[in-house]
Amino acid sequence: MAHTRWLGLVVTTTIVALPSSARATLGGDSASVDADRIRVQGALLRIVRSDAFTVHEVQSSSGTTIREYMSSTGTVFAVAWEGPWLPNLRQILGPYFENYQRAVQSGSANRRARGSFKIDLPDVVVQMSGHPRAFSGRAYVPRLMPQRVQAESIR
Amino acid sequence: MRPILLLALLVAQELTPQCGGSPSTTTPVAVAAPNVQAVVVNAGPANNYFNGAFTSVTICAPGQSTVCQTIDGVLVDTGSSGLRVLSTALSLSLRQQLGTNGAPVVECAQFLDGFTWGPVQVADVKLGSEQASSVPIQVIGETAFPNIPTDCSSSGTAEDTLANLGANGILGVGLFRQDCGSACAFVGSANPGLYYICPSSGCQPTAEALNDQLQNPVALLPTDNNGVLIQLPAVASGGAVSVTGALIFGIGTQANNALGSAKVLTVDANGNVTTVFSGQSYPSSFIDAGSNGVYFLDASTTGLPICSDNADFYCPAASQTLSATNRGANGATSAVNFNVGNADGFNASFSAISEIAGPNPGGFDWGLGFFFGRSIYTAIEGSSTPAGQGPYFAY
Repeated sequence: MAHTRWLGLVVTTTIVALPSSARATLGGDSASVDADRIRVQGALLRIVRSDAFTVHEVQSSSGTTIREYMSSTGTVFAVAWEGPWLPNLRQILGPYFENYQRAVQSGSANRRARGSFKIDLPDVVVQMSGHPRAFSGRAYVPRLMPQRVQAESIR
Repeated sequence: MRPILLLALLVAQELTPQCGGSPSTTTPVAVAAPNVQAVVVNAGPANNYFNGAFTSVTICAPGQSTVCQTIDGVLVDTGSSGLRVLSTALSLSLRQQLGTNGAPVVECAQFLDGFTWGPVQVADVKLGSEQASSVPIQVIGETAFPNIPTDCSSSGTAEDTLANLGANGILGVGLFRQDCGSACAFVGSANPGLYYICPSSGCQPTAEALNDQLQNPVALLPTDNNGVLIQLPAVASGGAVSVTGALIFGIGTQANNALGSAKVLTVDANGNVTTVFSGQSYPSSFIDAGSNGVYFLDASTTGLPICSDNADFYCPAASQTLSATNRGANGATSAVNFNVGNADGFNASFSAISEIAGPNPGGFDWGLGFFFGRSIYTAIEGSSTPAGQGPYFAY
C-alpha cells in the first residue's frame, strides 16, 4: 500500500496509539466521524493537517485503509481507500450511495468499462480501481472541494 | 468440452465468413490436448461485451459423471479465483455446502463494479478433458436466498443477471488458491465477512475454512494444476469481430505450456507488480484477463484526453504507441510497448480491440488488450513450476 504517495502534503502528523476508529460520511461533518467510530472496529492511524484540509487515516480491522478529507469548515469533502477488501461504501458515501448504485446499474450496456471505472455525477465523483485482494478508490463531492485542491491529490 | 468438439469448433470458425470487413483470426495452438480448452473473444452471451475471453465449462454433480451440464459464455478471469455461474444458466441440481448447525453457506464476493451473492455449492468441474472433483463454486442470484444482507449490498451493486454480468459465469483462474484466503477462515473483526450462513432465521457472517471457500479449480486438477497459460492471437489495428484462442492448464507440465523465454514476474502479497512509466514507479499494477482494456494513470499524467461521452476511456485524436516496463517483486523486468487508440473510433460490432484504454489513477491494469499476441502465464500461489514457486505472472 502506497501511503507515501500523499506524504508530500504533510504538515503535522499525529500518531494515535489507542485503538479507535473513524469513518466519516461523505458530505457529513466531524460528528459523522465519531458517529461511525464504533462500526468499523479499526484503528485511527494518524491525523494529517495541511493548510487546505485535515486527513484522518483509519485502518479497518480487515486491513483496508480509509482516508477522509475534511475541509477547514469541518465538512468531509472526499474519501479514499486502499486494501484487500472494499470498504462499506454505503457508509462512506452516505447520502450519495444510492445514486452511485443506480449509476453503476444503468451504466451503458455497450462499451462498458470492465476494469477501472469512474462514476461522474453532478453531486459526486466515484473512482474504483483494483481487483479482489487489492482494491482502491476515491470519492469526492465537487461542490465541497476546497479551492486549490485537485482531485488527483485525493488518494 | 471434448477435444474432438474443440477441433470442430475452431474449424467451423475459420470457415465462417465474418461481416464488418475484418476477419476473425485463429491462434495456431494445438487444441486437441487434454489440458486445453478453447476461448473466444466476442460480444458474449449478453451480446454487450468487448475484450472478454469466454469459454465453456462442464460441471457435474459430485461423483456423478452422467449428471452434467455444459455452460457456455463463461468469462475467463485471472484477476479472481473460483468458478461462479448464474443460477439462470444452471439447470443442474448441485449439493449445497452446509456450515454451522447445518445451515447453508452463502457468499458475498466482491468485485470492482459490484458483488455476487449466492450459495456455495459443490460440483465436479471439467477443464479441458481433466476434472477437478468436489469443487466449491458459487451459484449467483439463486432465488432460494433472495435477502441480501445490508453489509453485503453496502459493497456496491448486485451483479446477478446476465445483462449485468455480461457472462453466464466467471471462471476465476487467478494467482490465489481460494477467493478469500486466510482472512475469511477465522472468527473476528479481521474477517472481511464474505461468507455467511443462512438459516431460516436470516443470514449472518461466518468463518469459512480454507478448503470450503471457493477454490481456483485449476489447483484441484489431478495434473497440470500449477497455473494457466492464455494464448490469444494478435489483433490488427482497428480490432476484429472476434478472435479465438486457448486456455491451457499447467505451466511447464506439457509440451504445449512450456515457459520458453517468458519473463517471470513474481507478485506482491496482493497480486500486484510494479509498472514503470515515464520514470515513475506504480506498485499497484496488475495483469488481469478479466479487465476489458488497458487502464492506466490519468489524463493529466498521460496527456491522453478522456472521451467526451464516457469518462472510462481515452480518446486521443490519433493512435499512440507508449512504452512501459513491468517489474516483478523478484526484480525481473519486461519492457512493454502498447497502443492507445480513440475508444470512440472503433467499429461498434468489433469485440476484440487491443487499443482500448482508459484511466486507472495510480497504476496500470493490464487487461485483455494486453493479452492479444502474447502467451501469458498465471502461476498459482504455493505451486511449483520450472521457474520456481507461484504466485507469478510470466509472458
